[in-house]
Amino acid sequence: MSSPNTTTASKRVPPDAGLVRGTRPVAIDPGEREARTRPPAARQKGRPVRLAGIMSLYGILAVGAFIVVFPYILILLTAAKPMNEIFSSSPWQLPQHPTFATFRQVWIQDDFGRILLNTVAVTVVITACQVACSTLAAYAFARLSFPGREALFWVYLATMMVPNAVTVVPLYLVMRELHLLNTYYALVLPYAFGTPYIIFLMRQFFRTIPRELHEAAKMDGCSEVRVLLQIILPLSRAIITTATIIVVVSSWNNFLWPLIAVNSQARELLTVGLAALQSNFGTQWDVLMAGSCLTLLPLVLFFAIFQRQIVRSIQMTGGLK
Amino acid sequence: MIQSFPEPVVALEGSTPPTSAGGRFRRGSGGWAGYLFISPSLFGVIAFLVIPVILVIVVSFFHWNLLGHPTFAGLSNYTQMFAHYHAVTSLYVTAYYVVLTIPVLLCASVLLALFLNRPLPAMGFFRVIFVLPYMAAPVAMGIVWTWIFDPRLGAVNELLHQVGLSGPTWLSSRALAMPVIALVSIWSSVGYNTLFFLAGLQAIPHELYESGMLDGASRLQLLRKVTLPLLRPTVLFVSITNVIGSFQVFDTVYVMTQGGPGTSTQVINIQIYDVAFQDFQLGLGSAMAMVLFVIILVFTILQFLYFRKRITYELA
Repeated sequence: MSSPNTTTASKRVPPDAGLVRGTRPVAIDPGEREARTRPPAARQKGRPVRLAGIMSLYGILAVGAFIVVFPYILILLTAAKPMNEIFSSSPWQLPQHPTFATFRQVWIQDDFGRILLNTVAVTVVITACQVACSTLAAYAFARLSFPGREALFWVYLATMMVPNAVTVVPLYLVMRELHLLNTYYALVLPYAFGTPYIIFLMRQFFRTIPRELHEAAKMDGCSEVRVLLQIILPLSRAIITTATIIVVVSSWNNFLWPLIAVNSQARELLTVGLAALQSNFGTQWDVLMAGSCLTLLPLVLFFAIFQRQIVRSIQMTGGLK
Repeated sequence: MIQSFPEPVVALEGSTPPTSAGGRFRRGSGGWAGYLFISPSLFGVIAFLVIPVILVIVVSFFHWNLLGHPTFAGLSNYTQMFAHYHAVTSLYVTAYYVVLTIPVLLCASVLLALFLNRPLPAMGFFRVIFVLPYMAAPVAMGIVWTWIFDPRLGAVNELLHQVGLSGPTWLSSRALAMPVIALVSIWSSVGYNTLFFLAGLQAIPHELYESGMLDGASRLQLLRKVTLPLLRPTVLFVSITNVIGSFQVFDTVYVMTQGGPGTSTQVINIQIYDVAFQDFQLGLGSAMAMVLFVIILVFTILQFLYFRKRITYELA
């Protein structure tokens, strides 16, 4: 922190404090402190007001939670109703004759079984490749010295500003020229080699690992690859989890590029398949909700399993500036 | 959408001491390994980012419908874009979307963060619930919200019907389509942005509150004089990254209105898609993409300048 060039972010909570170990210090509410320091008489006087305040706080949060959750509930309610019931009953009502027929139709006739598999495969490949390539690059930028390192890093940073929509037209032309449109390669290649954003995020983390560890291992004759695999990676589980979560979510939900790159149903991904379902079935809400459900459910499960890591990861991306 | 992962703060990097590592390493340490390690990503950056950017600039000066050879068009794509293609309208429409979305999003996220920062039970539970929509595919959620706002059978008009009101036609109404889309965007990103504000709140030193209280400040005063000013960097970070993301909105609009009714939700990205991949006017589409690029660049530079300034300010 003595360097005049220290970044502001590092002056804030260091990224690994609390975030990594889950021991974030709980901020003590100013009101509570106030209550503690006040003389007893005043404290007692304030109590009913505080209680009412807390109750209304929970009330607001409960309403907010309902607003967040109710679309998911409506998806399930609608997908489980036969179409005539959708027309005759309120969307808020429980289905009187719950049915899985719509799910079966979407799964088999509309091929969502295969589309789901496509999406899983593409997401897994993109995530594995991207996290691996980004880790290598981030480590090199953080801890290895080679001529041109700073200049190259600036190129990476500059490309981070390029919005998705700008590269879509030329990417289409490139893939067309290479005869890769309508292939899995078109879906995977643009994202497989690491993205500047993830590299940047990981590099910021690697820089917080003490340099001495790296140097000591080098003294003992470790190769760079072994240093990375055996010393750095075991210390970097938090950032690798973060990168993995970001890549999984963004490639699962990616829409614009798959929409343009692939127009054969055999290689469709869920988002594109769902949009196709919408243009085929218009307002057949049972079908559309079953399709939406199949698209959303895997990530909801992913979220349920990794919720703590996900919440932590998002805060990490804000803190690792 | 989030598509909006926060763009990291580029400016801070400018301040990295250039290879302070260089001196401490034995010369040549990691030289070949460095190149080896970055080579896959370097290939990716060049092939899928640098070359496309050069290509999009070049193509924007050509007429090309993919069938014949491209013909040089000079600036005519740019002039045509403003003359015929409602490019100005789509800029207004996008700006309108940004204006509808960002202020509400910011206020809601700050408020939620203030609530969730209280040391009360179940706050962790609420934090998790609010983040849930961040994982949801905007395409799927767009379709679900179209159903919720369906004029005849939708959940919203059904509730309005219960209290004796007849609801409007929402997405088929020129006036209401965009606010509904903005609402969906806000719904999906409030919880995500709240987490940034929570991190910002927890970084405020407690001593500030203690000394403020010793001076007899009320809670409202503490909020106004301590919390909000110290939250300003987070507010700026969140608003700029969200503005940049909002200018690129596509998925939600594509499934909810396809740009209609009329041109009322014809945002820039929808128009680029229509021109380039429905009409196959790739030159024109590229020219529009360049306009979007410039707009986003302006905001990125603003972000850059701000964080530059912030560093010097904090060191002063």
